Amino acid sequence: MRHLGIALALALSVPVAGCVQTRQFADLQFTPPQGDYRLLVMRPDVTVNSVTTGGMPEPRADWTEQARAHIIAALRAQQAARGGNVQIIARRNELRGVSEDVVADLERLHAAVGNSIALHKYLGAYLPTKPRRGLDYTLGAEAVELGRRTGYDYALFMHAEDNIVSSGRVALQVLGVAGCIVGFCAPNIGGGGQFAYASLVDLKTGDVVWFNVVQTGSQIAGLKFGDIRSPQGAAQLVERLTGRMKPGYEVRRATGRS
Amino acid sequence: MCFRCAELNRRSLLIGGGVAAASLSTGVAQARIRPADMRPLIGPGFRPTDRDEIGLWQQMDRVEEEVSGSNILIKDPQLIRYLQNLIGEVGGPAAKDMRIYLARIPEFNAVMFPSGFSVIFTGLLLRMRNEAQLAGVIAHESGHFLRRHMIRMWRDMRMKSDLLSIGAMVAGVAGGAAGVNTGDITQLAQLGTLLSLFKYNRTMEAEADAMGARLLAEKNYPAIEMANTWEQLIGEADASARHRRKRRDRGRSLFATHPSPESRMIDLKISAAEVTVPGRTYDSRRARYLQAISPIRQMILDDQVKLNDPGASQYLIETLARDGWNGLLRFYEAEIWRLRNRQGDAQRAAQGYAIAVAYPDAPPDAWRWHGLSLIKAGRQAEGRVALSRYLRMQPNAADAPFIRQMIS
Repeated sequence: MRHLGIALALALSVPVAGCVQTRQFADLQFTPPQGDYRLLVMRPDVTVNSVTTGGMPEPRADWTEQARAHIIAALRAQQAARGGNVQIIARRNELRGVSEDVVADLERLHAAVGNSIALHKYLGAYLPTKPRRGLDYTLGAEAVELGRRTGYDYALFMHAEDNIVSSGRVALQVLGVAGCIVGFCAPNIGGGGQFAYASLVDLKTGDVVWFNVVQTGSQIAGLKFGDIRSPQGAAQLVERLTGRMKPGYEVRRATGRS
Repeated sequence: MCFRCAELNRRSLLIGGGVAAASLSTGVAQARIRPADMRPLIGPGFRPTDRDEIGLWQQMDRVEEEVSGSNILIKDPQLIRYLQNLIGEVGGPAAKDMRIYLARIPEFNAVMFPSGFSVIFTGLLLRMRNEAQLAGVIAHESGHFLRRHMIRMWRDMRMKSDLLSIGAMVAGVAGGAAGVNTGDITQLAQLGTLLSLFKYNRTMEAEADAMGARLLAEKNYPAIEMANTWEQLIGEADASARHRRKRRDRGRSLFATHPSPESRMIDLKISAAEVTVPGRTYDSRRARYLQAISPIRQMILDDQVKLNDPGASQYLIETLARDGWNGLLRFYEAEIWRLRNRQGDAQRAAQGYAIAVAYPDAPPDAWRWHGLSLIKAGRQAEGRVALSRYLRMQPNAADAPFIRQMIS
C-alpha cells in the first residue's frame, strides 16, 4: 500500500507527456462556408479500438457504433448552428440520384488525395516546388459532377479513430511507474490516443479547400484527452476538428487578419 | 489467411544465438494433422457472439465493401457463379455463408478473410489443371473459416503479447530490486514469443490443409490433387529460379508463416490416402473446369507471360500441356521467347507461331505474329497470307489499318 501511494505520487509528478495537436491547411483563397450553404458530409469513417495489455489495438464494434452516432449528432448540431443545410450520409447508397459506385469512387479518390496531403503537408515530405501555395489539391471533375448532380456546395470527408487503453495496460503502467522506486523506470508505455482528420471539398471546383488533423495522446497509458464514445467527447472532437476553420492566407491578408 | 504468403525479412529478425535457444521450445518441424481430427468448429449461419470477434467482423465488413467494389475484380457473372457454386460444394457447414471474389492478379494465391469472404487470384486459375485442384485450394480456405483460425490467431497473439509485456515489466521491476539487468532475458523472451506466433500460424495452415483434404474427398474429388498442386508449384519455383541462375527459397524457417511447400506436399499425400475410400470413384472434373475458365483463359495466360519470368511461364505452359497441347498454349509458348528477346529467341518464337497456327483454335494474334515473323524472314508472300487471315479473324483490331496498309 505504501508502494502504491508512492507510485501514484510519482505518476502525478512525471511531466504530463501528452497533448492535443491540431494543424490546418487551407486554399489561399478559402473563406469558411457561411450563411445558406449546402453541405454534404460523406460517411464518417470512425473506429474505436481497445488497447490490450500487450499494446495491440483491438477493434470494438459497440464502441465504434456509439462513437459514430455521437459524431454524426455532434456534426449535425454544429452545422445547424452555423446555418448550413446539411446532409450526412451514413451509407454509400443514401445519396439520391447518385449510384453507390460513384460515391465509392469519390471516397477512394479522396483517400488517395488525403494520403498525399498527409505525406506532403504533415509528415515532412514537403514539396520544394510548392512553397506558400496553401492547399493545392483537387478531386477534379468527379467531385464537380457530384456537386452538379446533387446541388451541394461542399463535401466534408472525415476520419476519426480513438484508442482506449484497457485496464490491464493501465495496471502495467502503474507497475512501470512503481518500478522507478527500485530503479526500473517505465513511466510512459503509452498506447492510447485519438487521430482524426477532416477535409472540405468545394464541389463547384472540385478542389480540396481546407484540411485539418487532430491528434491527441499521452505517453502515460490511461491518461486521455478526450473520448469519442461519449456525446461530450464526440462534440469535443468535432469542435477541435471543424470548429475553427481559418480562412486562406490571401483572404486573411486582404482582411488584415493575418 | 492466404494460401501462400510472402515471408518476413528474416535476417532483420535473427538475433544471434537467441534463435537456437528459443527454437528449443518452438521448433521448425511440424507434426502432420490428421484430416479425421478436423471437425468444423462452426455450423451454418454462424455469427460472432464474442466481443473481440464482433469487432473483427465489423472491421471486415468494411474491408469486404472495399474489396467487392474494387476495379481489379473480374465480374463475369457465369464464372463467378461457378466459383460460388464450388465454395458451396466444398465449404462444409458454412458453404452457403461464404462469398468469393476473383481478382485479376497474375499470382498464385487465395485469401480467406475472418468474416467468411474469400478472394481468389486469377494466377491461381491459370495454374489449376482441373476442378479438383481449384476445389482443393477453396477447401483449404474454407478450412480456415470453419476452424475459426483468424480469431484463434488473434487471441493467441493477444495472449502472448500480454504475457510478454507483463513478464518483461515484472522481470524488470524484480531485476531492478535485485540489482540485475534483465534486458537480455527480455529480448530472448521477445524472440521466443515471435517464434511461437509463427509456429502457431504454421499449425493453422496445416489444419487448413487437413480440413481441405477431408472436405474435398467428401465431395468425391480426388484429394491427391491438393498434393499435385504443391508438386506443380515447387516445380514452377525451381524452374523460375533455375532460369535466373538462383536457388529457390525453400521456405524452411523458424520465421515462416506457412509450412514449407515440400512438407505440405508430403503431408497432403498421406492425408489424401487417409481420406480416400477404396472402391469409391473420384472425379477431378477437368472438362467442366476448362469450360468454366474458357472466357478468361487467354487473358490470364497473357498476364502470366508478360510478367517476364520465362522460367516459370515455360514450366507452367508445359504443365498445362500435359493434358494436351492446343493453339493457345503453343502461341503463348512462342510469346515467352519473343518477349525474352535474347539471341536466337526471334527464330524460336517464329517456329512457335508456325506450330500454333497449325491448331484450329489458334488465337488471331498467333496469325498476326506468324505473318510478321515470316515477313521478317523475307517470306513476304506467305506473310501476307497469314496477315490477311489475321484481319479476317479480327477485322476491328486496333492495328488493323496498319496491317492492311502493310499487305496492300
